[in-house]
Amino acid sequence: MSTERRYDAIIIGGGHNGLVTAAYLARAGMRVVVLERREVLGGAAVTEEIVPGFRFSVASYVVSLLRPEIIRDLDLGRHGLQILPLDGTFTPLDGDYLWRVNDHGTTFRELRRWSLSDAEAYEEYGRLMVHMARFIKPILSVVPPDQGRIHPAEWISLGPLARSFAELPRRLRDTFIQVMTMSAADFLDQWFETDPLKATMSASGIIGTFQGVRSPGTAYVLLHHYMGEIDGAFRAWGIPKGGTGGVSLAIASAAQSLGAEIRTEAPVARIDTADGRVVGVTLESGEELLADAVLSSADSRVTFERLLEPGVLDDEFLTDVRRYKFRGSSAKVNLALSGLPEFSCLPGTGEHLRGAISFSPSVDYMERAYDDAKYGRPSRRPYIDMIIPTLVDPDMAPPGQHTMSCFVQYAPYHLADGAEWDDAARDALGETVLDTIEERAPGIRELIIGKQVLTPLDIERRIGLSEGNIFQGELSLEQLFFNRPVPGFARFRTPVDGLWMCGSAAHPGGGLMGAPGRIAALELLGERKRGRWRS
Amino acid sequence: MSRRDVIVIGGGHNGLVTAGLLARRGLDVVVVERRERTGGISELLPTAGRLRRSVIDALKLRSHGLELIRPEIRMLALRDDGDPIAFWSDAERTAAALEQVDPLDAGAYVAYDRHVRALSGFLARMNRTTPARLDKATPRDVVEGLKLGKAYRGLGARTARELTRALPMAAADFVREWFRDDAICGALAARGTLMTELGPWSAGSALVLLNDMAEGDGGAAGETALVRGGPQALSDALAAAARAAGAEVRTGTAVEQLIVEEGRITGITLAGGERIDALAVASSLDPKTTLRTLLDPVAAGPRTRWRAANIRTRGHAAVVELELSGTPAFRGADDPAMLAGRIVVSRGIDDVERAFDASKYGETSERPQIEAVLEDETRLRAIVQWVARDAAEDAVADLAIGELERFAPGLRELVTGRRVLTPAGLEAEYGMSGGHLLHAEPGLDQFFAWRPVLGMARYRLSMRGLYLCGSGAHPGGGITGGPGENAAREIARDLERGR
Repeated sequence: MSTERRYDAIIIGGGHNGLVTAAYLARAGMRVVVLERREVLGGAAVTEEIVPGFRFSVASYVVSLLRPEIIRDLDLGRHGLQILPLDGTFTPLDGDYLWRVNDHGTTFRELRRWSLSDAEAYEEYGRLMVHMARFIKPILSVVPPDQGRIHPAEWISLGPLARSFAELPRRLRDTFIQVMTMSAADFLDQWFETDPLKATMSASGIIGTFQGVRSPGTAYVLLHHYMGEIDGAFRAWGIPKGGTGGVSLAIASAAQSLGAEIRTEAPVARIDTADGRVVGVTLESGEELLADAVLSSADSRVTFERLLEPGVLDDEFLTDVRRYKFRGSSAKVNLALSGLPEFSCLPGTGEHLRGAISFSPSVDYMERAYDDAKYGRPSRRPYIDMIIPTLVDPDMAPPGQHTMSCFVQYAPYHLADGAEWDDAARDALGETVLDTIEERAPGIRELIIGKQVLTPLDIERRIGLSEGNIFQGELSLEQLFFNRPVPGFARFRTPVDGLWMCGSAAHPGGGLMGAPGRIAALELLGERKRGRWRS
Repeated sequence: MSRRDVIVIGGGHNGLVTAGLLARRGLDVVVVERRERTGGISELLPTAGRLRRSVIDALKLRSHGLELIRPEIRMLALRDDGDPIAFWSDAERTAAALEQVDPLDAGAYVAYDRHVRALSGFLARMNRTTPARLDKATPRDVVEGLKLGKAYRGLGARTARELTRALPMAAADFVREWFRDDAICGALAARGTLMTELGPWSAGSALVLLNDMAEGDGGAAGETALVRGGPQALSDALAAAARAAGAEVRTGTAVEQLIVEEGRITGITLAGGERIDALAVASSLDPKTTLRTLLDPVAAGPRTRWRAANIRTRGHAAVVELELSGTPAFRGADDPAMLAGRIVVSRGIDDVERAFDASKYGETSERPQIEAVLEDETRLRAIVQWVARDAAEDAVADLAIGELERFAPGLRELVTGRRVLTPAGLEAEYGMSGGHLLHAEPGLDQFFAWRPVLGMARYRLSMRGLYLCGSGAHPGGGITGGPGENAAREIARDLERGR
């Protein structure tokens, strides 16, 4: 046994959620340590210099849902957080394009070019979704009850939600049910007829999931777009200065200033338990750390199957853990460019390159991309969500040069016919993505100085997300709310006393949001206050 | 002009159930059916196993000639490579049959059967209730809610959690948690897609699957019953029961429009101009047709019309009937008892999904999914999906025959007559919007308290005096009599209270 050190709480994983948890606990005066496996902090919200001189948001690349209360509570502005707005979505098409921006008047005129009724519906739809987002937002802060028992204390938190549902105007109640159950495509069909518009809007419903835009249950993610908007911190989407790693570093800085200890290159080998409760962790180095509380921001598979010794959890619980679906479906291609790409449908390097560039020409295109993946093949023509961060944050590359981030779907983790994500498969994926871009922005290949392709397997290995699922578990209906990350254990607690979940695996799930990390910390602090805390 | 208590529009099986049950309560009821005979699409559907016992008993359908044949082998799953698999009404027996396919799956089957019975038992309970008002629960809603809550609690913690997890799942995921053999999985999961716009990998197909087990004996193999004399015998019995109870059943009588007076429905006008007044009008037509075609646009209002237009009713299933000159010989099914239930072409889950994929692009599956029954050993009746709305009828029949012939060589030579109803054909002949055999998609977004849409799930449509009693209402389509029975209860309640 090497040295032994005692903490009030140990946080496994230095991703943004783990860091948020650490900061909140430290703020309450607890002695906490964050243990990060890698040499860099941030988990999936990480900035790295992949090509000399070019810094990339390697995985997660935009921010919209970061909870404003976290920004306030931790004073993240003072710790360097700066969000740069990302204006608009540009959908290149054959000989034409669809370009929506945050300015409603401009977007209205653009949509009218396609369909007058769509232009009018767009306004109404936007208002409706903002209302809806306002209603749904509190759900992100609720601790879900265990649906297996009717325990009044747990269900009481849903009371205000039920009341506000009953008080909703009728059409919003209607929309709420639809948003929770419909496919993104069906939902949008009610308002719009323009195919590229529907395809591009529905794309936000499938990001990170193994679902198609016509799969039921994909509509509700459409709301996310509007949730960012109502919080007022910044509009819709933005990119953090310095990449998404900038968010993590700001939170880490806040946590440290509140007294939290943060250790990198400190991979945890095991969560130690005695008599069914947590006593600490052992690092791969053999070092042992002691604490009465361990909060894991790793996903459920890593936490329960890898870090806990066999025999600690009962079979029923483990069955549920194994049933939990990950099924990573996305890949990331990061390019270092010597100049800006030009799209044949709108030549020049104007404002349209400053926002998101969406390769989503039609609903059928999106759906066929999914069909390929369903049967275990990367999409022959994938959906790509592209941004050029250097246009809003030039410091990320040498002067005059650019970084380009391509989020790619679908690239299924499990390949058909026994194929594996080897170097050849990764190269093929990269070529498919470049071919797809080349069709609309010819000459992109000549601009490439450096390239990084991350397959789902790479994401799993590099960042530690099981099966490369960017949300730490599929955001499908049956894996939300009281079923996340294990049915009946959505209250951030686990069957092991003192072991908590605080990452995207827990409610309300993934995205650069920080909500799970914050609620987990508040729950633990609440329990401590009520005296159920041993130390 | 005549004056009745209740008019039921549409003489399909649900309309007849509503009419019969209301007439038995002493109400003066008339059923108006556009076609020359009653029954609607029930004359097409191969099986009637889910017909509610409470309906059979209340209407004394047996004494009106209904005889249900419940085969011991409920489902025969035809496999590409290997003998067909028999799914018996007795789960133990099915488990024994599965031994030769996959011993591990055989071992899981009885527990799976118990599991799905627990889950679908709760759904059966839900199917009997009138969905509560979600905005403002009535005292009766509270009582019903407490009863449902008690039933939910009775499931036990683990099953209760499992229920909330299972309902929004994909049938493929649900089944694969228990079984590994692809043909077994495909056969079991395909029922979650029957007559729908869902593939086995679509979220919510597990709900459809569990709901399929929710009436009758249910269980993993699904309840199966054939009507002796063919499906028409069911509607004959229902019509006889309604008439015996005092209802008038008028066929060959098309409704022109609903009459709206002072903000409520007061009757109907018929195609010939005749007017019938009534205290209540119950439509067993699909909700879209009811709200958009029968109801005056001004009376309906733009919002209701918009909502009705968005009810998902795209049909993708065709019905194929084949007259045969002899009994087809299915490979590995020498015993006629094996062909007494549902005959399902059972491929792997991905093959079913591929068949479904076609529907997303408005195409017809190259290899469709087929569920068939043999009546009197010489008439084959099949649900074939997924089929393009206006597919060529002959092509659909050829596809179905070709697919079945892989398992029953020589079938084609036996065919002496064929009838094909594509979704467009179904819509033209039977009038359901989109030709959807379930009137409205049974997805998660058109379920329970929001079937067909939120605020109209309590059998009362947007206008006082107008009710929905067909498959578009909770608990949905298929031959159950459930919507008809539940709607009758609500209509009677309103009339007794003088509404």
